[in-house]
Amino acid sequence: MTARAVQRHAAMRSWPRLQLKAHPTLRLGLLVLFGMLAVAAWGTVALPGAGQQDLAQSFLPPLSPGHLLGTDQLGQDVLAWTSAGIWVGLEVSLAVVSISAVIGISVGLCAGYFGGIVDAVIMRVVDVCLSIPPLLVFVAAAALLRPSMPMLILLISAVAWLPYVRLVRSVVLVERERGYLLAARLSGATRRRLLFGHLLPAVSTPALVLGSLQAGYVLLWEAGLSFLGLGIRPPQHSLGYLIADGRETLSTAWWVVVFPGAALALLVLAAHLIGDGLRDLVQQDVEIIGR
Amino acid sequence: MSTLADLAGLESGEHEAARRYGRYIGWRLAQGLLVVAGAVVVSFLITNLSGNPGQVIGGSFLSPQQRQQIIDQLGYNRPVLQRLGSYLAGAAHGDFGTSYQTGEPALRVVLTALPNTVLLIGCAIALAVVVAVPVAMLSVLRRGSAGDRSSRVVMMLAGALPDFWIAIILVRLLSVNLSWLPAIGFTSPQSLIMPTLALALPLIPAFVRLLRGALLDVVGQDFVTVLRSKGFRDRFIVAHQALRNAMVPFVTLLAMQIGWLLGGTIIVEVIFAWPGIGSVINNAVQARDVAVIQAAVVVVACGYVLLNLAADVVVTVIDPRVRSGARP
Repeated sequence: MTARAVQRHAAMRSWPRLQLKAHPTLRLGLLVLFGMLAVAAWGTVALPGAGQQDLAQSFLPPLSPGHLLGTDQLGQDVLAWTSAGIWVGLEVSLAVVSISAVIGISVGLCAGYFGGIVDAVIMRVVDVCLSIPPLLVFVAAAALLRPSMPMLILLISAVAWLPYVRLVRSVVLVERERGYLLAARLSGATRRRLLFGHLLPAVSTPALVLGSLQAGYVLLWEAGLSFLGLGIRPPQHSLGYLIADGRETLSTAWWVVVFPGAALALLVLAAHLIGDGLRDLVQQDVEIIGR
Repeated sequence: MSTLADLAGLESGEHEAARRYGRYIGWRLAQGLLVVAGAVVVSFLITNLSGNPGQVIGGSFLSPQQRQQIIDQLGYNRPVLQRLGSYLAGAAHGDFGTSYQTGEPALRVVLTALPNTVLLIGCAIALAVVVAVPVAMLSVLRRGSAGDRSSRVVMMLAGALPDFWIAIILVRLLSVNLSWLPAIGFTSPQSLIMPTLALALPLIPAFVRLLRGALLDVVGQDFVTVLRSKGFRDRFIVAHQALRNAMVPFVTLLAMQIGWLLGGTIIVEVIFAWPGIGSVINNAVQARDVAVIQAAVVVVACGYVLLNLAADVVVTVIDPRVRSGARP
């Protein structure tokens, strides 16, 4: 075997081989996620008019012909709206997690690698930011800014990057002292190579776990803000807005509230299951607290 | 040199430990002050960088002269730095300006609503702890059993439910269908039940998860093996020995959760029209009552800092290792 082949072999072995049968949590999470995606895809393709109003068909109960989950006050199909809401929720959630992961991992790498005064300053800033309740910041800022999807994504990201810094820094502090890193440094690896070639791969797995757990909380934040009318509003569709809308006619039409809420809960559940499953898979202890 | 510690007859090791502990508490205090200062600045930034409230208040019903008058009244005709200066000077002695809606001092508006929110959070946390502690203990005692696994599934489901959705469904079931409980406001002790449930339900899984993890850590330690070999029952060990050890991370989490809840009850308070700090914030936000928003942000941050300090003290009482500086 050439040195290259040995290296490649080692690289392949270091990746956990994904045997879903041995990880029921992960499997269930993926199942729920893909189930929701399938429903949302079907809802978008088969029922094109999300938000199409038809007052002649208002308050149809679930299982009515042509309206599987019924219609709301204005005759809008609940399934179509829920499907659109699932897409929007996932879009926001993915965007927030990617933005905050990139920022948080970079800052965390710097804090852990450079240490000293850089570390102290970064961590104090993070401590201060973490102590302000996120929902309060969202509400205060969302009300004063014009609500829109990019605004909402930036706003949630402004808070969501903080846990990555803590996590990545703690991992780097441990990895920094390990043999392979000292060996790399001894053999003359540049700072860039140490940071991106060695430390980044080491922190990416726990960051992935954190990201999937966080995706669930972001879904809840987005829906909560949209529920208050401070997030996403028509013509874009949010599950939170739909629930708020349905709340006013709850005594006549429970289905307008129950179905989007259930869809939201299932999405969050899928994110948590996948996060938990990944955590078991890589045997990393990643804790995210609060919502 | 004789210091207080020498007079008290502390040995040199304890002396050193006490000093370390003192430094730790001092650092935590400084950190708290930093947080409050940060909150003051952040509250100014989010409300001032995001536009001029004078342009929005009153909608389109005002003439340009009236609008200019409002802008002058609110002080928005001055440069930002000057505004920041006078804001900081005011904040330093508790003056956050007056609410333009009621004419009352903003701080008083927030502080009047605070007790209601504290009451609500207290009930929710109490309920969550009362449910979470036994569930976590049972799931550790019978770990791997069907009961443990099913409780984990139930907890995961409960953690995924949006609190505002729970709140709405509760209103529909208990107020509209069964008319057992009042739907909104704070008119009688029964009014507390539904908001408490809506807040506590998502908290329970978080608590169970943390306690279970902490208990499992403790149960793996040597002293537990010793106790077991001495013939103590598992139930006794978990309830009397392990739980106290597991309380240390739990109390810290509890303080953080309560701090977050201070600002996080907004949605539930709005749904139940609960006269607390969340409703005040929501009102202020909808009306762009900047002074009230700023005061609320600062009050919540202060509450958070105080809670964390309280948690530090409680942890010291629970765990003598912290007191001796062995594990700050």
